[in-house]
Amino acid sequence: MSRQAVVTGLGFITPIGNDGTAVLDSLRTLRSGLERVEFLGNPALTVKVAGTIKEFVTDSPSWRDWRYPARYDLPREALRSVGPHGLYALCATEQALLDTGLTRDELTDGNTGLYCASSGSPFMAYHHLSQLHAVRGERGNPMAVVASIAGTLNFNLAARYGIRGAVGGFASACASSSHALGCALDDIRLGRQTRMLVVGAEEVNAETILPFAAMRALSTQTEPATASRPFDQTRDGFVGAGGSVCLILEEARTARRRGAMVYAELAGWGQAADGYNVAVSHPEGVGLADAMRRALADARLTPADIDYVNAHATSTGAGDRSEAVALRSVFTAQGARPRVSSTKGITGHPLSAAGVMEAAFCALALREGFIPGNANLSTPDAACDGLDLPRRTLDVQPEVILNNSSGFGGSNVCHILRRSTF
Amino acid sequence: MQPSVSTSNPASLTPAVAALLRHFPEEVRSAFVRLRESGDAAAGDTLVLAIVADHMPDKNAALVDSAALMADLGFDSVTIAEMVFFLEDLLQVNVSNAEIIRVRTVGDLRAFVRVKLADQTAGRDLAPRA
Repeated sequence: MSRQAVVTGLGFITPIGNDGTAVLDSLRTLRSGLERVEFLGNPALTVKVAGTIKEFVTDSPSWRDWRYPARYDLPREALRSVGPHGLYALCATEQALLDTGLTRDELTDGNTGLYCASSGSPFMAYHHLSQLHAVRGERGNPMAVVASIAGTLNFNLAARYGIRGAVGGFASACASSSHALGCALDDIRLGRQTRMLVVGAEEVNAETILPFAAMRALSTQTEPATASRPFDQTRDGFVGAGGSVCLILEEARTARRRGAMVYAELAGWGQAADGYNVAVSHPEGVGLADAMRRALADARLTPADIDYVNAHATSTGAGDRSEAVALRSVFTAQGARPRVSSTKGITGHPLSAAGVMEAAFCALALREGFIPGNANLSTPDAACDGLDLPRRTLDVQPEVILNNSSGFGGSNVCHILRRSTF
Repeated sequence: MQPSVSTSNPASLTPAVAALLRHFPEEVRSAFVRLRESGDAAAGDTLVLAIVADHMPDKNAALVDSAALMADLGFDSVTIAEMVFFLEDLLQVNVSNAEIIRVRTVGDLRAFVRVKLADQTAGRDLAPRA
C-alpha cells in the first residue's frame, strides 16, 4: 500500500482518566478506574462494580440536568439529541480535535470522514418509549430517535462538526469500534478519505450494563480495584464500563505536511468470524487466530515482530481462555513470545468502545515507550501457559503492537500499530 | 454551556410541571400558575415567549411578534417540533402537523396557544394525561 495512515489525535473520556495525561498515568501505575455502584437503587443486585466516568453526572434523561467539566462549551443544539454516551463522545471529540489541531475547513472539505460505534442508548430509548406508552402514542420527543438508536453518535457528531466525507456506524457489539477503525484505515489507503475520526462510546448505567448480568457474564466481585481479573484463574466475569474515545487517523504524508504530531502508524488490520455461537467465543479461538494472522499479513509482519499484544480478555471464563488458546497458536507455536496484557483489568469492559479505546492506549504506549501490565493477575489460567503476562507496566519501548477485539456472533478484529518513524 | 437548575417552585406546580419548568426563572413558573388558576392571557404570553427564547437557536435575535421562527430566530423544522412537544407536554394539549405548519411567527404562536388553551377550557382539546 502506498498510502499509510497515522494516528494524529486522541481524546479520552474513560474510567481511568478524562484526558491523555491522566490515562497515561493510570496505564503506567495500573490505577483502577472501577467503583462501587448500585444500579436501579437495588442493593440486592449482585453487580456491585462498574468502570465509571468521573466528573460527569448523567443519571437524568434530560441534558439540562447533566453535569460535566466546564472546559467543554457545548451548546443546546449539541446536547438535545444525544444520550449520556453522546455527551462523552462530544467531549472526547473536542479533545481529539484540539489535540490534532485540524481547522474547521479541513473537517468540512469532504475529505474527512467519521466512523462511530456504540450500542445506542437503551437508557434514552426506555425513557422515550415509556413516555410514548404513557400517552398511548399520541406524542413524543422529536429527538427521541436520534438520541437513542444505534447510529446516534454518527448522526450527532457529523452534524456538529460539519463532516461531509464518509459517515457511518458499526454494530458488531464489542468489536464495533475496531471494525470502525479498520474500515477507516481502508478508506485512507484507498484514497477515499484523507482523514477519519473514529469514535466509540458507551454508557455506564443499568440499561446498558445489567442485561449482561442476565447472560451471567458480569463479575459479582465487590472490591472495585480487584474485580476485573483478565486471564486469572479466579476471574468470574467482566466489569461493565463506559466512556468514549475519539481517535483521528490521517494519511501520513498529509499529516507530515501540516506538521501534525504523530502517535503511531496504524499498519494493518484483519478480521475473521468464528461461525460458531451467538454469544460464546469458539473454544479454540479459531476466528480470533485467523484475524490476527490476517492482520499480520496485511501489515507484512511476522509473529516475531510483535512486541506487545493488547488482549481483548474481558475477565470471563470462556472468552479469556479462547483468546489465550488463539494467542498460543499464533505466537507460541511459532516461537514468538510478545508481552500480553489486558487493560480491562483497570478499565472494565467498555463494550462497543473497547476497540478504539485500547487502540488509543496502544498509540500512547508506542509514543511514550511502555508496555501496560496485567492488573489483578495472580495465578494465570492454565490456558495461558507459555504466554508472557507482565504483572506490572514495563518501561520498555515497543516497536509493534497488536490489538485484539471480539464481539457477539464471533466477530473478531485485530489491529497492528507501529511506532512512527515520522 | 452548563445549564443552571432552580429548585424553588411555586407551591401549586404539579411535580410533572415543576420538572418541565425547573430551568426557567421563577417569574415564568409563576406565570404558569397564574395561567392555570385564572386563565391570565398575559401570563400565557410570558410563558410562550420564555419557551421560544429557550429553544431558539439564534440567541441574539430580537424576540418580537413579527419575528419569523425560521428566518429570524434560526429554528429548523426539528427544533420547532421539539418546542411544540414541550408545549404539548406542559399544557397537555395536542398539536397536529397542519397546525404547526400555520405557525410562522412568534405572534402566530402566541395567538395559537391562546386558542388552544381556550379550546382546552371549553373541553374541545383534551390530551391524554401522562
